[in-house]
Amino acid sequence: MHRALIFSSLNPIYSKLSTTTASPDSAVFPKRDGGWIGPPPVFRLQNYKRTLLPPLCSASDSVANQPKMASQDEQDPRISKISSAIRVIPNFPKPGIMFQDITTLLLDTKAFRDTIDLFVERYRGKDISVVAGIEARGFIFGPPIALAIGAKFVPMRKPNKLPGEVISEEYSLEYGTDIMEMHVGAVQAGERALIIDDLIATGGTLCAAIKLLERVGVHVVECACVIELPELKGRERLGDKPLFVLVSST
Amino acid sequence: MFAAENGLKGDPRLQAISNAIRVVPHFPKQGIMFQDITTLLLDHKAFKHTVDIFVERYKDMDISVVAGVEARGFMFGPSIALAIGAKFVPLRKPKKLPGEVIAEAYELEYGRDCLEMHVGAVEAGERAIVIDDLVATGGTLSAAIRLLERVGAQVVECGCVIGLREVKGQLRLNGKPLYILVEPREIDGC
Repeated sequence: MHRALIFSSLNPIYSKLSTTTASPDSAVFPKRDGGWIGPPPVFRLQNYKRTLLPPLCSASDSVANQPKMASQDEQDPRISKISSAIRVIPNFPKPGIMFQDITTLLLDTKAFRDTIDLFVERYRGKDISVVAGIEARGFIFGPPIALAIGAKFVPMRKPNKLPGEVISEEYSLEYGTDIMEMHVGAVQAGERALIIDDLIATGGTLCAAIKLLERVGVHVVECACVIELPELKGRERLGDKPLFVLVSST
Repeated sequence: MFAAENGLKGDPRLQAISNAIRVVPHFPKQGIMFQDITTLLLDHKAFKHTVDIFVERYKDMDISVVAGVEARGFMFGPSIALAIGAKFVPLRKPKKLPGEVIAEAYELEYGRDCLEMHVGAVEAGERAIVIDDLVATGGTLSAAIRLLERVGAQVVECGCVIGLREVKGQLRLNGKPLYILVEPREIDGC
């Protein structure tokens, strides 16, 4: 079910791990001691290669000048444990959806630590002063990253949750629309920001967050998620905004 | 119990934390002076102090579970959990957690609400703390304690950044100790 991949925002070529032999309909639940409830996934690793994390440009580099990956044949060993710690719940919240449940990742202290470390290693020292997290699972990953890199944490919330003056951005859902809000004055024009969420699907929520920050003159350096659902093409929807993910799930 | 009366008297970090909290009058309705912690999250030093104080308190208490109440408990709980080597367990509004859950109802000022926790997240015998940004009547925290106790966990303490006056003088909630960093701020000149 999971292929653990590192995505470069510029270079979509990546090393493929073989997929698990578990059928898509069987939910596989990691137990806390590292074993499995249900049929264990079998990863055929003959073609396993390790992928280097793509470099993040610093303040002085433009996106266009980012170097291409020198080699994409190395994967950080922490990634596969992170991928394994994510639980898939079939048919939630409705039939046909294979829900990627990160709560089991939060129960695995090493994998949760590694998840945060991978983001912190990428963003530390890159002059990022804002970590924006999307309600509610972005609130779980964003603050530890913000604390570690010395940035402020800015919650991006559903309507009527933030007290005081807010700006709002409407965005599309599969059926209907929703609204995202951010506090006026939380961020200043010219600040460099990351946006964090647990997962990117269609990219609609992330796009709303990008718009809110850009409306007040913030430079969104990158969007970062634990999981990407590539078939929903969220990466394309982000346009020229780079996306960094740890795990891709199809 | 308030931190200033329990080992942290005169600790300058508590003043920094208190100063970083914004009061928004009449939110969500007339008469309520809302204690807004988002300004604390914008003050990196004060936010770090907040987490550090909880970590210092809990790191040697053999805590394996940090439960955080949706949604502002999510902003503090995970950092504490990571630092003390505990799991983070989100306690959520109904229908947010996928898979099997247990639920606990609690009273609001008008009506009722419900808190859910994943089955299997916590094992019997584990030592847990519950984290939220603020404790007012204690209704939400009481529901959180009941959820954890139902699966046989031992709730060691509840930790909150702010404690309203209703809980001042109450050392315990449901028989569980309550640890609070600061009192609510007043609006100057209001």
